[in-house]
Amino acid sequence: MSTLEIKDLHVSVETKEGRKQILKGANLTVNSGETHAIMGPNGSGKSTLAYTLAGHPKYLVDSGQALLDGEDILRMTPDERAKAGLFLAMQYPVEVSGVSMTNFLRTAKTEIDGKAPAIRTWSKELGQAMKNLRMDPKFAQRSVNEGFSGGEKKRAEVLQLELLRPKFAILDETDSGLDVDALRVVSEGVNRAKENTALGILMVTHYTRILRYIKPDIVHVFSDGRFVKTGGPELADELEETGYDQYLPEGSDSESALA
Amino acid sequence: MTDKAEIRIPQGSVEDPYAAPARMPSSADRSIRSYDPDDYATPTRRQDDWRFTPVERLEEFFRPFEPSGKTALTVSAMDGGPLDPAQVSVSSVEMGQAPTGTVLKPNDKVSAVEWASNSRAHVIELRGEISRPVLVKVEGGGLELDAIHLVILADERAHADLVVEHGGDARLAEGVEIRTGADSHISTTFIQEWGPTSKEVANHRIHLGAGASLRHSVVTLGGDVVRMRMDQEFGGEGGDLNMLGIYFVDPGQHMEHRTMVVHNHPNCRSRVVYKGALDGPGAHSTWVGNALIRPTAPGTDSYELNRNLVLTPGAVADSEPNLEIENGDIIGAGHASSVGRFEEEELFYLESRGIPEQEARKLVVRGFFGELVEEIGIPAVSGHLMDVIDRRLSKGESEEMKHVLEGN
Repeated sequence: MSTLEIKDLHVSVETKEGRKQILKGANLTVNSGETHAIMGPNGSGKSTLAYTLAGHPKYLVDSGQALLDGEDILRMTPDERAKAGLFLAMQYPVEVSGVSMTNFLRTAKTEIDGKAPAIRTWSKELGQAMKNLRMDPKFAQRSVNEGFSGGEKKRAEVLQLELLRPKFAILDETDSGLDVDALRVVSEGVNRAKENTALGILMVTHYTRILRYIKPDIVHVFSDGRFVKTGGPELADELEETGYDQYLPEGSDSESALA
Repeated sequence: MTDKAEIRIPQGSVEDPYAAPARMPSSADRSIRSYDPDDYATPTRRQDDWRFTPVERLEEFFRPFEPSGKTALTVSAMDGGPLDPAQVSVSSVEMGQAPTGTVLKPNDKVSAVEWASNSRAHVIELRGEISRPVLVKVEGGGLELDAIHLVILADERAHADLVVEHGGDARLAEGVEIRTGADSHISTTFIQEWGPTSKEVANHRIHLGAGASLRHSVVTLGGDVVRMRMDQEFGGEGGDLNMLGIYFVDPGQHMEHRTMVVHNHPNCRSRVVYKGALDGPGAHSTWVGNALIRPTAPGTDSYELNRNLVLTPGAVADSEPNLEIENGDIIGAGHASSVGRFEEEELFYLESRGIPEQEARKLVVRGFFGELVEEIGIPAVSGHLMDVIDRRLSKGESEEMKHVLEGN
């Protein structure tokens, strides 16, 4: 049983107009086996939260903590966070030319586990995981994400999630750009990972569509850099009806109503 | 060989050269080819051939000198086994005596100086099917100025792999003549792995037999300044030239490779692929790929490519393909050139999967070079290359700084 505790997190980025604060005191606790949906309007800082936890150098932590079983991951390099058990499925996975998926996955697995996976079981495991995600085996030989379609990239993210077996996974808009079939395949993968490893999930999303496939235990509304409301799955239905308008800070326009 | 192919050079009025471009003088006609160093102006950045070169760091190679003679050259089988003297023979001749001076002529100040400064040349002759790769070790004998001249002759229908390894500390002017016989299949790999204060200027002159194939690989991994120029011509129809290059430039180093491919016979093929990685402030690479397709070379198929990967800010990669095509009846004359940065986003992506920064860099650079290294085709060399590239990438920060401070 593991716990991820985000405590009073303040984060900013450098912009052309100077330093801009994005997260303004975010607090959240996620336990193993729990699925949290983090919903909010565009520009509320949901993705900033996701990338800050994973350690992207662009995001500057001003104050606060993110404790994974008591250890502050914000003090760690991105690879150390991954080894501690954190995984970020990115909205826009990066292409890495010249590095084959199979080589990349084996290297990552070796780093995360601290030892190389046994060749026989590993290739079997990889083959099965790809099959489950309806991925063509040829993808293993291609460069990481290079020339993959949007849907293929998302499948590849979930493939890594299943193989690397983290304690907590942040899914950043994993549903974006997926058709219904792909969404189902990808969601099944996430659900499998949860079943197999008691994964704790932070699912960042703008839409409620994915929540039909990955059932959240807890739904949060995120607005203007902090969590503003927390409820059960019924909160998602309420947002579907009313949109985010009521959660927007004073003076914002209401463009970002739930689509 | 048949002489069935009739070559027609278009005739046109000299008054209107654009009506028949093949009648226009080509750059090769205008360039000086001479054994006399005095026929060349002292290199400056204003001359086209030298505009990317830090000429002030190579001044000692601009006038004939008395070579120290301390550079050692040894020939053996790469696996340590015996070489059959009937297949591989090594000798020494006076400069000017055949086979020296039989492949093209010096083409710039430094190659003429090398010719004038050397008194003797090493000659390696290759005959028959030579199964084990031949290793030529060129070991620098310190920073005193030295010159060396090497002639590589491959007999008709010979098959051989030859690796020339340069190491140690040196300030060396090197001339290499390669002449391959008809229908021979030869690979030559030149590895430059000099100490950090070493300098080298090299001039390769290559003549390919009719129907012969030559893989000419260059791997430059160390040295303060290394400048190599490769000039080539075909000796008959159906030649196949494959030039590969790999370079890894550290802070403050200059590594320059210039290839000059001349298609002067029908139905020949050439490929030039050079790839380099640059790491750190002041790392400078230059690749200039010249290709000239003469009116006498219908059916030419040529392609050249250069890719550069800049790993850290502050490095400069110059990349310039030049094509001169004097024949419209060709299969192709392509070129591509690029300079790319090692993206922070790629690094973050790999790190976020548990791969530490150093390992992530290794993965990307290995991927960048991998295909080319495999193409060199000699496992012992490929393995060694990957090890050296890994070592370069594993260097600690402090060691790197030490290198910058000591190396300049």
